[in-house]
Amino acid sequence: MAASETWAKWRYRLVPDHALGEILSKNWIDTLIPAFILVLVLIFFGTQMPNFLSAANLNDIGRIYGEYLFIAIGMTIVMMAGGIDLSVGSIFALCNFVSLALINYLELPLILGIPAVIAVGGAVGLINGILIGYLGLRAFLTTLVMLIIVRASVDMLLLDYAMIIGRGFNASLAWEFMALGNIFGIPSSLVAVVVVAVAAHLVLTRFRFGWHLMAVGGSRRSAYNAGIRVKRTVCATYVISGMLCGLASTFYAARLSSASAGVGLGLEVTILTAVVLGGISLGGGRGSIVKAALGTVIIILVQNSLIRMGLMSGASSLVLGSVLLLAVAIDVRWMKNRSKILARSYVSPTYFKLPPLPETAIGSDSPYALNDKLRGVEAIGLGELDGPEDMIFDREDNMYCGSRHGDVIRIFAPDYTRIEVFAHIGGHPLGMAFDARDNLHVCVGGMGLFMIAPDQTVTKLSDETNRSWLSIADDSRLRLADDLDIAPDGRVFFSEATVRYEMYDWMVDALEARGNGRIICYDPKDGSSRTVLPNLQLPNGICVEFEGQSLLYAETWGCRITRYWFDGPRKGQRDVVIANLPGYPDNINRASDGTYWCALCGMRSPVFDLAQRMPGFRRRMVQSVSRDDWLYPNMNTGCVIKFDKDGNVLDVLWDLGGEAHPMITSIREHKGYLYLGGIYNNRIGRYPIPDADPNWTSHDSYWGELT
Amino acid sequence: MIAFFQRKLDKIRGSGDAAVTVPSMDGALRPNQLVEEAEPICRTEQPDMICECGGEILFSTGNQVCALSDGRERYAFDTTVSALAAGSDGALAVGLANDGIRLIGGPHDGKDLAAMLGRTLNCPVALLFDGADTLFVANGSENFSPNDWKHDLMSRGQTGSVWRIDLAAGSAERLMGDLAWPFGLGLGADGLVITESWRHRVLHRTRDGGVKTPLWDLPGYPARISPASGGGWWLAVFAPRNPLIEFILREPGFRERMIEEIDPDYWAAPSLEASTTFLQPLQGGAQVHLGVVKPWAPSQSYGLVIRLDEMFRPVASQHSRADGKRHGITSVAEVDGQLLAASKGGNLVLRLMQDRGVVQT
Repeated sequence: MAASETWAKWRYRLVPDHALGEILSKNWIDTLIPAFILVLVLIFFGTQMPNFLSAANLNDIGRIYGEYLFIAIGMTIVMMAGGIDLSVGSIFALCNFVSLALINYLELPLILGIPAVIAVGGAVGLINGILIGYLGLRAFLTTLVMLIIVRASVDMLLLDYAMIIGRGFNASLAWEFMALGNIFGIPSSLVAVVVVAVAAHLVLTRFRFGWHLMAVGGSRRSAYNAGIRVKRTVCATYVISGMLCGLASTFYAARLSSASAGVGLGLEVTILTAVVLGGISLGGGRGSIVKAALGTVIIILVQNSLIRMGLMSGASSLVLGSVLLLAVAIDVRWMKNRSKILARSYVSPTYFKLPPLPETAIGSDSPYALNDKLRGVEAIGLGELDGPEDMIFDREDNMYCGSRHGDVIRIFAPDYTRIEVFAHIGGHPLGMAFDARDNLHVCVGGMGLFMIAPDQTVTKLSDETNRSWLSIADDSRLRLADDLDIAPDGRVFFSEATVRYEMYDWMVDALEARGNGRIICYDPKDGSSRTVLPNLQLPNGICVEFEGQSLLYAETWGCRITRYWFDGPRKGQRDVVIANLPGYPDNINRASDGTYWCALCGMRSPVFDLAQRMPGFRRRMVQSVSRDDWLYPNMNTGCVIKFDKDGNVLDVLWDLGGEAHPMITSIREHKGYLYLGGIYNNRIGRYPIPDADPNWTSHDSYWGELT
Repeated sequence: MIAFFQRKLDKIRGSGDAAVTVPSMDGALRPNQLVEEAEPICRTEQPDMICECGGEILFSTGNQVCALSDGRERYAFDTTVSALAAGSDGALAVGLANDGIRLIGGPHDGKDLAAMLGRTLNCPVALLFDGADTLFVANGSENFSPNDWKHDLMSRGQTGSVWRIDLAAGSAERLMGDLAWPFGLGLGADGLVITESWRHRVLHRTRDGGVKTPLWDLPGYPARISPASGGGWWLAVFAPRNPLIEFILREPGFRERMIEEIDPDYWAAPSLEASTTFLQPLQGGAQVHLGVVKPWAPSQSYGLVIRLDEMFRPVASQHSRADGKRHGITSVAEVDGQLLAASKGGNLVLRLMQDRGVVQT
């Protein structure tokens, strides 16, 4: 092995390249930008201002931060539903006035006063909400007008009552605590806002209302079509924003007791800058509370520090405006290019060396030598089937197969010309097996493991397994359940081809050559699913052996077949049965003479084998060549092999030229015939097996003959 | 210095020389199935060149030169016939792989061209008479024989040359060097026309020695060029450019190992024949779905004949696409009022319709 190849081997074994793409595909990746800016801000002011990080300064900032964050959370909620609320500053000022009037002047107890203030804020928000949500006015203009109207009202109120309420004083301890108190050194407003933020985060990410809200912001029309009450959701966001302004103002009123005209002036710009800087998209549908919190921290630090550094207030606004402009620019560019960066970095090939390619030439003494045995095989359902990946027979000899449209199709015996949809599941039904009670188990690509009872009722058995400890992407959901078989005790062993790609992308997994797939065991006793064999190279066909203690599984990109003991004295052990196939193995099934059939869905080519040893080459190819032009395994020719339990290849069936069956993904022996399926084929082939037992069925082989 | 930074920048941006994009077949090159539908005249093993000599239409196939009328052998040689040219007076020049050029018939019958050139040309892939006494020769590569053209392409060869031999005087002159596989020669009103395959272009060398590039950035690798009646040219394009191959051409490490470890028939490289074995690499878009290969699938082989006007602008084209078999057209010639094309990959000599393939705009 050349030195460069040894280097490649260890380099790709030790560095988990795929992590980068998985991190980039996380939703929280947007938060990285504000986090980075925050670090810059801390470094800058930390070094420029001597007492920047002192406890007293932080406590002051934290108190103001708490008040701001209430409003920022409200703004976030509005913006995530696709709106904008410019009236927050005015509502804040109004509520501040109301707090002072009710709590300071009228000396209402806080338990009545604070809800009343919140209600006032909510009422103004409701006006916004009705105008924008129900009457369909523009959010920007409506809230701008509301800003002016409410501000004017506050000014008029101040003109008449500023002196009166200025005289008020509420001596309650709680009111003082809101103003100055700390809990373990943390300002009261900050503690309160953390509670609100956690609640808001839970609502947005875990509750129905939050999901509706994000759906509305992401695509209003789609949300409407999906049955979400768009108008009500939009209206509610403004009410929430108004109420949070009210809550914020009570802390402000308690702290400063100030009824001046300058309260809340320009607050909307500050808050807007904060949330946009945090990464709440102006377009709606994207954002989180964490982002809003980060953005607000940055703005508070910048604003506060600039004042303390002695900048004139005009200059401070200038800086703020520039930051807003920058934040909007970053938001737009990031949204535009995020998917591009992800697309470039997601496919992450690794080093994989296959043993030398076995000979397949005609006339060679290789067991895989080409022949023409499958030429002219009979076609079933020609033109009516689309993608029968696997097929199986019930006790009445009727055939079942999947289709690309998500149907399980029944083709009636004895002539197999009458076709009906047996059940519609969705996804792409792939591997199939019958259990002892004639329930049809189906692996459905894109959905999971399903069961169809003889009366055609469909039951979902499993769509998730245990999440693996070290995976970055959440791999608990099943993406591509592929083939299955059922052990004598009823446990279902099924393969999930890859956890990194969806059904329609499964072949891209070949370019990675990493063990991205797994075998999962579903136990019908308690309905649980556990991963039993992780990190396999596209595990595909599964076949429980005749003795019922072990199974054979095919790893498509690994070009090998392995035995796994799930019971008996060797439980848990594995041994390789065929190590070096000339093609990519797919489904494995029992043969009537105690051996096994395996379909090879594609054949190895020397160039692709070489590319598998050069991961850097494949990565660059993915990055610079368009998708349709990528080098793939050759899936245009397939064959069928027969092998015994020791891995001796006994027979090989080829369709030379691949005209009828370019790709064979599955085979099933039934009463002397071999049936051929293909995931991209428009038919099922039927090949008479010479010297096969004409009465053998796989159903009897698994569950015994019907008595 | 600037060129260095330009190259680095190109590599980062995938622009300029580092671009793996290929021009689309549009305008006059809009695809059709005319080559696939053309009338087959003669089924033979890898026909390469067609020419008319002494009133008889000849074509080369393997080690032989055969007559089109009966398909029988006229001349046989020890190595592959890589080029043919007919003189006006019944002379026939035959290029042989690794074995120079033979002259048969005519005033200079049997002359030893190796002596005139001072060497034996290893890769004479195109010959052209200018009158009775001048013979132009295109030597595809210094390093490889005509059958090893894939090696030359994948090692990014640019050692081809064009020679002028004065048969009467017995002297030879090298007109051009450092060409990337000059594959076709034509005689225009104002000088010599050369197709340069690996650079996908047609060159025009005027009589005063200046070289112009009237046609460039073709979507395939041009082969031979021949004059059309009524002015203009017929250009045979023997293989398509393919983004994957363009990418591999920019991957020296991969190419080196591919050349070293893999049989050339199974390379990821342009090919004359449509793929018949799974040992050849497959691109994603070329997968068979429901028994069908898309005609626009990415392909390593293609059949294309382009009609150029006097200014070398494409005006019409005839195609055999990814789902066809008549690929690898290495020469096209208008003789006796019929347009004949040799599909080296499809093992056929075809008669094309002359006035077809014009795209109405």
